[in-house]
Amino acid sequence: MPPDTIEILLVDDSPSDLDLIRDALAACPCQGRVHTVPDGEEAIAFLHRAGVYASAARPDLIILDLNLPRKDGRVVLADFKSEPTLRSIPVVVFTTSHSRKDIARSYELGANCYVSKPGSLEDFRKAVQAIQQFWLSVACLPD
Amino acid sequence: MTDTATSTASEAECPASDSTLRVLLVEDSPVDAELILLELRRGGFEVSSDLVQTIEDFTRQVRAHPYQMILADYNLPQWRGIEALGVLRREGLDIPLILVSGALGDVTAVECIKQGATDYVLKDSLARLPVAVRRALQEKRLRDQRQKGEKDLARKVEELARSNRDLEQFAYVASHDLQEPLRMVAAYTQLLAERYRGKLDADADKFIGYAVEGAVRMQTLILDLLAFSRVGHNGNGGKTSDCNRVVEEALLNLKAAIDESGAVVTQDALPLIVAEQAQLIQVFQNLIGNAIKFRGKEALVIRVSAERQGTQWLFEVADNGIGIAPEYHEVIFTIFQRLHARGEYPGNGVGLAICKKIVEHYGGRIWLKSEPGQGCTFHFTLPATPADEKDIHASRHN
Repeated sequence: MPPDTIEILLVDDSPSDLDLIRDALAACPCQGRVHTVPDGEEAIAFLHRAGVYASAARPDLIILDLNLPRKDGRVVLADFKSEPTLRSIPVVVFTTSHSRKDIARSYELGANCYVSKPGSLEDFRKAVQAIQQFWLSVACLPD
Repeated sequence: MTDTATSTASEAECPASDSTLRVLLVEDSPVDAELILLELRRGGFEVSSDLVQTIEDFTRQVRAHPYQMILADYNLPQWRGIEALGVLRREGLDIPLILVSGALGDVTAVECIKQGATDYVLKDSLARLPVAVRRALQEKRLRDQRQKGEKDLARKVEELARSNRDLEQFAYVASHDLQEPLRMVAAYTQLLAERYRGKLDADADKFIGYAVEGAVRMQTLILDLLAFSRVGHNGNGGKTSDCNRVVEEALLNLKAAIDESGAVVTQDALPLIVAEQAQLIQVFQNLIGNAIKFRGKEALVIRVSAERQGTQWLFEVADNGIGIAPEYHEVIFTIFQRLHARGEYPGNGVGLAICKKIVEHYGGRIWLKSEPGQGCTFHFTLPATPADEKDIHASRHN
């Protein structure tokens, strides 16, 4: 586990979901620093450190919604997973969709994990905490 | 243009009236042409005709006018009337053609019919012509009717398929897009309940409870609708499923309910079926699950069996539960149809609709026999796999 703070990039356009995710993340002792962007275009800018994101941190983990305004999550995936310097960043697709097509497509595009947002509050929290627990404590991440 | 020997319709563009027969004569002898027309009139036809002699004129005329009949001499100076058939084929025209010829050997005649001529009439027995024409017209009418029928049918099938696709797409998109805002309502009413229970007043707690309950129910409805619309989306490429395994899986999924109800489930040897395993599991799980849900006072016994009937298997899931009155035997397969108050028996009324959709997707039928208080037997059929005579023994277990 690297000594530095874990940087998490949260890409989601729904303020209500962002609140729930941040809430759930904050409840865990292994929390990292959370950055949020509301759409795919900003996510790509953040990752490429373009414009206002010139001094953005390189995320250690990306939590990515699929249906986003402007550029959607699939475009974000396709973009940074084809970028040699960025593709090693693990990405968890976290979306409302249960569609088999979305699941298959996401993994094809290089998603490291696909989680459907559960309907109940309790399950939603458990899902976020499971993601956090696994990626920040169980899994070994690249430097 | 042509050398128009006889033209009762002076305006060639104007289609002849219903009772007038529009004929194109391919004939080098004006006298023969006249004789042919005479014979037709004698046979009761009102005729308007054009006369051509060359293949170029013939082509031009059939392109320009809607003839109902072509009467062609077989032997013409520069070409043979039979070549007219080739022109019609190339032009995509379906006009009956009768060869009218001075002499035509049997072999040639047969060859002409093979090429698509409707009939042939020898010039020395022209009296037969009206009969031949009448029959050719009748055949053409029947052909047109059949083609129109086929076209209509093809269009209806396509319309139906499209409307089906639209409907499924609609259900799918609607349920996906509905889920997102609904999840928000559900999560935040739950958050309200969690943070403010007992901090407002009793009414507030109750109202929040209703909102939570409504949102959760809506979520299951949408998931059910989604599951329903998904049936038939995934072909399995002709893979077979062992129904013995299928029922075991279904029972495993129902383990908690079976343990709690004390149900005894017996299972005969079941066949292999060409169907996706997950969908078959769903059918058995829904039927057995229903039997458990609607059990009566006595100890519940559920029997799953199958019997080969010709090209299909007849499955039975029989219970000794509360039964269903005959007037409901059809409506219970309708989606979201329920027979009991929500408080009495839980559920959304989707299970049987899904069973029906799956069974029908594989070309089977589902129905039930039941009386109130007499238990209930669900029957469904699925097509047998060609080789399953021996499979049932191979897969026999227990």
